[in-house]
Amino acid sequence: MKNLKIILTLCLLGLTQLTLAQQGTVRGTVIESAIGEPMYGVTLILKGTNNGAISDFDGKFSITAPAGMYELQASYIGFQTIVIRDLEIKPGEVVVIDQIGLVEDAANLEEIVVTAEAIRTTEAALQTVKRMSTNVLDGISAESFRRIGDSDAGQAAKRVTGVSVEGGKYVYVRGLGDRYTKTTLNGMDIPGLDPDRNSIQIDVFPTNLIDNMIILKTFTPDLPADFTGGIVNIDTKDFPDQKIFDVSFSVDFNPSMHFNSNYINYAGSQTDFLGFDNGLRQLPTGYDLANAPNPFNSTDTQVAQFLNEFSPTMGVQEDNNLMNFSLGITYGNQLEFDNGHKLGYLFTGNYKNNSVFYDDAFFGEFQNDRNPDEIQFQRAATSQGLLAENEILLGGLAGIAYKTYTSKYRFTAMRLQNGVSRSGAFDLIDDEDAIGKSGYDGISENLEYNERAVTNLFLNGEHHINDDQWTIDWRVSSTWSSQDDPDIRKTAFTRINDNYRFAAGAAGNPSRLWRELDEINTQGKLDLINELQMFQNDAKLKFGASYTYKERDYNIQDFSINFFNGEQLDWTGSGLEVWTDQTIYPNGPVYLVSGFSEPNPNQYNSNTNNLGVYLSSEFEPISKLKAIVGVRMENFVQRHTGRDQLQNNVLENDIVLENLDLFPSVNLIYALGERQNFRLSYSQTIARPSFKELSFAQILDPVSNRIFNGGLFAIDDWDGNLKSTDINNFDLRWEIYQDRGQNLSFSGFYKTFDNPIELVRLPQAQTNAEFQPRNVGNGTVYGLEVEFKRSLDFINDKFSFYGNFTLVNSEIEMSETELRNRNNNARTGEVIDDNRNMAGQAPWIINAGLAFDNFEKGIDAGLFYNVKGKTLVVVGGGIDPDVFSQPFHSLNYNMNKVFGSEAQWTASFSINNILGDQLEQLYERSFSSADENSAKATSQIFQRFSPGVSFGLGLKYSF
Amino acid sequence: MLALALVLVVSSCGDDDGPEPTPCAVPVISSNSSNLSVTAGESVDVTFNVTSECGLASATVEATGGTVSQAGDTSGSSITVTFTAGSTAGAGSVTMTVTDTEGQTANATAVITVTEVPSTPTVEVRGEITEDVTWTADNIYILDSRVTVVDGVTLTIAPGTVIKGNEGQGAAATALLIARGGKLMAEGTAELPIIFTSIADEIDPSDIAAGNYVGTLEPTAAGRWGGIIILGKSRISASNDNGDVTEVQIEGIPASDPNGLYGGDDDTDNSGTISYISIRHGGTNIGAGNEINGLTLGGVGSGTTISNVEVVANADDGIEFFGGTVSIDGALIWNSFDDSMDTDQDWVGTVSNYIIVTPNTGSAFELDGPEGTFTRGEHNVFNNGVVYGGPDIDHIIDWDDNTNTSITNTYFFGITAGNVETFGGDGEGESTGWETDLTEAGTFFEGVTDGVLTYDIAVGAKTVGPSAADFAWTWAGNSGALAELGL
Repeated sequence: MKNLKIILTLCLLGLTQLTLAQQGTVRGTVIESAIGEPMYGVTLILKGTNNGAISDFDGKFSITAPAGMYELQASYIGFQTIVIRDLEIKPGEVVVIDQIGLVEDAANLEEIVVTAEAIRTTEAALQTVKRMSTNVLDGISAESFRRIGDSDAGQAAKRVTGVSVEGGKYVYVRGLGDRYTKTTLNGMDIPGLDPDRNSIQIDVFPTNLIDNMIILKTFTPDLPADFTGGIVNIDTKDFPDQKIFDVSFSVDFNPSMHFNSNYINYAGSQTDFLGFDNGLRQLPTGYDLANAPNPFNSTDTQVAQFLNEFSPTMGVQEDNNLMNFSLGITYGNQLEFDNGHKLGYLFTGNYKNNSVFYDDAFFGEFQNDRNPDEIQFQRAATSQGLLAENEILLGGLAGIAYKTYTSKYRFTAMRLQNGVSRSGAFDLIDDEDAIGKSGYDGISENLEYNERAVTNLFLNGEHHINDDQWTIDWRVSSTWSSQDDPDIRKTAFTRINDNYRFAAGAAGNPSRLWRELDEINTQGKLDLINELQMFQNDAKLKFGASYTYKERDYNIQDFSINFFNGEQLDWTGSGLEVWTDQTIYPNGPVYLVSGFSEPNPNQYNSNTNNLGVYLSSEFEPISKLKAIVGVRMENFVQRHTGRDQLQNNVLENDIVLENLDLFPSVNLIYALGERQNFRLSYSQTIARPSFKELSFAQILDPVSNRIFNGGLFAIDDWDGNLKSTDINNFDLRWEIYQDRGQNLSFSGFYKTFDNPIELVRLPQAQTNAEFQPRNVGNGTVYGLEVEFKRSLDFINDKFSFYGNFTLVNSEIEMSETELRNRNNNARTGEVIDDNRNMAGQAPWIINAGLAFDNFEKGIDAGLFYNVKGKTLVVVGGGIDPDVFSQPFHSLNYNMNKVFGSEAQWTASFSINNILGDQLEQLYERSFSSADENSAKATSQIFQRFSPGVSFGLGLKYSF
Repeated sequence: MLALALVLVVSSCGDDDGPEPTPCAVPVISSNSSNLSVTAGESVDVTFNVTSECGLASATVEATGGTVSQAGDTSGSSITVTFTAGSTAGAGSVTMTVTDTEGQTANATAVITVTEVPSTPTVEVRGEITEDVTWTADNIYILDSRVTVVDGVTLTIAPGTVIKGNEGQGAAATALLIARGGKLMAEGTAELPIIFTSIADEIDPSDIAAGNYVGTLEPTAAGRWGGIIILGKSRISASNDNGDVTEVQIEGIPASDPNGLYGGDDDTDNSGTISYISIRHGGTNIGAGNEINGLTLGGVGSGTTISNVEVVANADDGIEFFGGTVSIDGALIWNSFDDSMDTDQDWVGTVSNYIIVTPNTGSAFELDGPEGTFTRGEHNVFNNGVVYGGPDIDHIIDWDDNTNTSITNTYFFGITAGNVETFGGDGEGESTGWETDLTEAGTFFEGVTDGVLTYDIAVGAKTVGPSAADFAWTWAGNSGALAELGL
C-alpha cells in the first residue's frame, strides 16, 4: 500500500516532470529475429559515448544522453551485432526504435548497419506476434484503425481475415457466431450485453482505447475451451514509450442524413448527450408495479399521481439534426527512476455523437403462400417510413504500470457508456390474406432508448524469476455490464373508416416497456511458464489455472394503455396527443395495465462457475519442428433461478448443467525457412447452452414479438435434455513473412459439431414466432483463408496492396422438426435439402486495400473495400421463408497528412460508402430445388436502409 | 365482524305522583326480546310486552338506525313491530311509547345490533385444475392467472355463480382455459345466469339472485381480463409451420404449455355444456399482440352443448370459432372492440338466434374459411339474427374468397358506417332472408346480390331475428339497452 502511494505521488509529479535540459532519450525493444521474442540482457550503447543500457525481460531499454546524432549498437554473445545509424536524440524528447531484431550467427559476427528510419515500422510488431504465435491468429492494430479510419471495434474487426461483423455489432469468425465466438478484454472474459446472445456487442469499444485486436483461431490449453470460431481479444492501450498528449476532433457529414429538416426525435432526458438517461425514462419507484394503480384498485388521486410519474411523450416530433462529430484526448508518459524502475501511465477519453436518419426505412414480413402452387411470397405485414437514431459513445480509460527489472504490474480502469435514442414513424399494412393476420392499416410511432455500459477493472502482474527461467503471470479482472431499454414506447393507430382508433385486435393499444440486463463477470487467472531443455532443445512447460464467475440478471416489465370504460377520444393520429393532462385518468380515459405478475415469469437470474486447470508443453522433438501439446480440464456449473408463466416449473438457483471435461490440443509448427512456417493443429472445444437456454422460461419479448421457450421443456419429440456441443477442430496454415511487412498465407480449417444447439421454431404456434433451443443434427464447417500484403514496387515503393479472402462452407443437418416444416410448406414439385448453412455464416468475405504511405512527407492514404457474400440471417422453414443479408459493397477512402513545424498536426479526410450501396436483407426461397428453378419467387424485403455517402474531416494536435 | 351482542335496555317509568288520582295504574311496557340482531338492510320483528289497567289509547314507535312499522293491534298483552335496518352497521333502536285511556304514558326502548351484510366469500384460483371441482354461488371465484382445466377434469359451475378475472395482460392475463379432454359444465338458467366479469365489477351473486344482472362497470369497459377459451379435438383446417396440420397452439399461450393445443379427429368431441353465461369486460392482450376473445372455441366438437351466451365489452372478438363443429343457440354480442363473430379454419356449426350490437373498430362478421388444404366441403350458418351497426363498425360483413358461411334471416339496422366487403354469400352456403331499414344499398350493401336483402323495413316490422324477450337474462336485456334500440 505504501508503495502504491509513492507510485501515485510520483505519477502526479510526473505530469510536470521534465527531462534534464539538453538531454534526450532513446527507448526501444530488442527481439530475437528467429523467434520474435524479446531478448533479455542485450547490451545497448550509443557509440562513442559511455551511455548504455541492458535490455530487460520485455526486451525494453532506455538510454538518456545529450542531444545529438548517434549510432546505437546492440550486441549479444553469439548474435550478429546491429548498428543503427542516423539516430537523432533531441533535447527533452524521446525517440523510439520499435524493434531491433538480432540474428543468431556464431560464424558471422560482422555488424549489420541500418538507418533509424528503416527500422521504424509499426505493423511489424503485430506481424511478429502472428508469426511466432503458437496459435493460428490474425489481428489488426491501432495503426490500421488510424489508416483505414475505423472508429469502433465493430468496423475494425471486419478487416481481419475470416471475420465478418453482423449488424456492425456481432463478430462472426469463420462463419461462426456468438455461440462459438468469444470476446475477451486483455485476455480476460467479459460479460455479454445482449439478451439473446452470449457475446458482447463489439461496437461499444471505440478504437482509440484499443491497442490491437487479435483473433485467435485455434485452441491452446491456456485459453478457455468454450470457443470454436475464434477468440476476439481486445488489448487496451498500454503505457507509451514516449510522452503523448493528443487532442483530436472530427466531423462526418452525410448529405442524405444530416441537417435534415424532416428528421424526427423525441423529448429525451437532459443527460442523453452523455450516453445515459438521467432517470426521466425510469420506472416510478414505490409502487407495486405488477398491480399498477388503476381506477379500480386505487383512488383517482393515486392513479393520477402514478401516471404523472411517466414521461408524457408518446410520439415523435420533427426536428433538425446535426452531423456526426467526435472528440478524443489521450495523455500518457513514462517516468524512469534512479533505480531503473519505470512508471507509465495513460489516460484516454473519447466522445462520439452520431446522427443516423433514414427517410425510407422498410421492414417487411412475408410468408410462403398457403397454396403450394403459388411460388410468390404472400405479404403479411409491412412498415415503411422514417427511422432516426442519435447515438452517443463516451469512453474513458486510465492505466498505470510499474516495472522493475524482473516484474511488471498493470492496472487499468475502463468505462464505456453508450446511449442510442431511436425514433420511428411508420405506415403499417397488415394483410388479411396472410395466415394469422387480421388485416388492417395504420400508422405507428416508436420511441426507443438503448443504454449500454461496461465498467472494467483489470490488474495484472508479471514476474520473471531465476534469469527468466520462470515466468509467472497473474491477472484479476472484474467487469460489470448493463443493457437497459427504458421506456420503449409504441403508439400505433388503426385506421378505421378514415378515423384513427386504438384497436386492440388490430394495431393494438399503446404500450410501454422496460427491459434490463445486468451481468457481472469476475475472473482470476494464473499462468506459469518454465523454460527448460527437452530433446536437447529449448522448451517450455506452461501450466496454470483460472476461475470465472458470471452472473446475469434479466427482467422485462411491460405495460399497455387501457381506456377507462372503453372511451376513446377524437384522435388525429399523433402519438403526442395520447398522454396529456386532459387524456390521462381521471380527466381522461387513459390508464396503465401491467403485463406481468409477481414473481415475474419474464425475469431470471443465472450464474456460472468455471474452474479450469491446464498443462501444456512447447518443445522441438526434431529440428525445425515445434510442438505444443497439452490438455485443459474445466469444471463448469450453471445455475438458474426462474419460472414459467403458471409456475408449474420453478427453479431456485438449481444446477442445470454440471460438466467436467477434458480438452486436448496439439499444435505443430514446422519452420520451412526462417520466415516461413507450416502449421497443423487439432483441438477439442465446447459450446455450452447460454443462461436462459437451460431453463423453464416462457419469455415473451414484446420488442421482437417472439416467445422464447426454455430448453428444459419436453415438447413433441424433444426430450428437454439440452446438452453442450462438442467440437473437433482441425487447422492447417502455410505462411511466409517478408520485409516491409509483406506476407502471404493460406489457411484451411475443418470443424465438426456434435449436438449443435439451434433455436428451433416451434410449429404448434400459429400466429406467434416461438422458439426453443434444441440439440439438432450434426454440423460441419470448413473453409479456406488467403491473406497477403505486397509492396507495389513496380509502381512506386510507397504503394502497397493488401487483401484477404475467406471462403466458408457450413452445413448443419436440419432437425426433424425443421425438415418437416419445410417439406410441409414446400411448393409443388419442390425438393427440400436435408441440410443448410448455419445462420450468420457468410459464404465468402473479401477485404482489400490499396495503400499509399510516404513517411517522409507525412502522407498516407488508402482505398479500402469490404464485402461479404449473401448470408442467411433469419432461419425460416415453415410459412416463414429464409432471410438473407445481401452483399454490401463498402468502399471507403481515407487520407492522413501530418504537418506543422514539429509535425504536431495531423489532418484526415475520408469518404465512406463511395458506391452508395444499400443495406438489404431479403426473403428468398432456398435450401431446395427452388434454388435452381427458373420460376423463382421474387425476393421480398425483410429490411432495407440506404446509408448514403458520407464525408469526414478530422484534425489532431499533439502537444 | 361485529360481535353479535345485544344490549337490551328497558326503561320503565310512570307518573307516580299525579295531582289527581287516576282510576287505574300507569301502563307497564318492556321489550320481550333479547339478543336482537339484524343484517344491514334487512328486517326483524321487535315485540313489546304491555300491561295496562285502563287499556291503551295509542302506541307510537320511533327508530334509530333504520325504520320501523307502526304498531297495529294494541289490545293484546304484546305489540309487535317490524324494524328494517339501514345500510350501515352499528346500533339501532326502537322506542315504543304507549298511552292509556287516561293519558298515562310509558315507554321502552329495544336496542338492536345492526351487522354488516356478510360479503360473499372469495376463492382465488390459479394455475391448473387437476381434479373435478364445482364452483357455487356461495362464493365469488377470482381468476388470478390463466386457469387451466386439464385433460380428463370437469369444472362444474352452479347457476348464479360469479367469476371475476384479476387485472393483467401478457403473462399476467387471467383467463379460463378448458384444455382438450377437459370439460366445462356451466349451466346457468334464465333466472340465474353465470357471470364472468372483471375484478373491478362489484356485482354479487345476491344481485343475480335478486334478478339484477347489470354490473357496476360501464358496458364499454373492455380489456380488463382475458376470457373463456375452450379447446377440443374436432377437426380444424390449419396451416402453420407444419403445413397442413391437425392440431395447433391457440394464440398467445406458449407452445411449451401443451394445454394450449386444439384440433384432432373427433368431430363429435364433447367439451361440456354451457348455457346462460354472460362474459364481460374481457379481451386483454395475452401476449404477442393477441387479445383473448370473449369466447374462444378452438376445435370444439358437436358433442358440446352451448346455448345462450352473452359477451359484453370485449377488447377483441366476441366469439371466435377456430375450426370444429360446435353450434350455439342464442348469442348476444354487445360492444365488441374487434369483430363480433369471427370464423376461421373451417368451422362448420350453426349460430342461431343471435343479436349483435355496436361492434367498435371491428366488423360484425369476420368470416374466414379453411386455412389449410383440409376442408369438409360444408359451410357454417348464422341464422335468425339482428345486427345493429353503430357508428364505429369496420365492416358489416368481411367476406373472403374461401369463406364458407351462409347468413340467413338476419335484420340489419343502425347502419351508418362500414360495408359488406366482397359479398360471397351466394356461392357455397347461400345467404337469404336479409332485411334492413335502409331504403337502398348505398355503399353499405353494395354488391349484395338482388333478392338477398329486403329494404325499408322498420325495426318494429322486421320478420326475422329472435325476440328480445329471450334475452331478458342478459345485461343488454336487463338494462333496457335492447329496448332503447327498439328491440
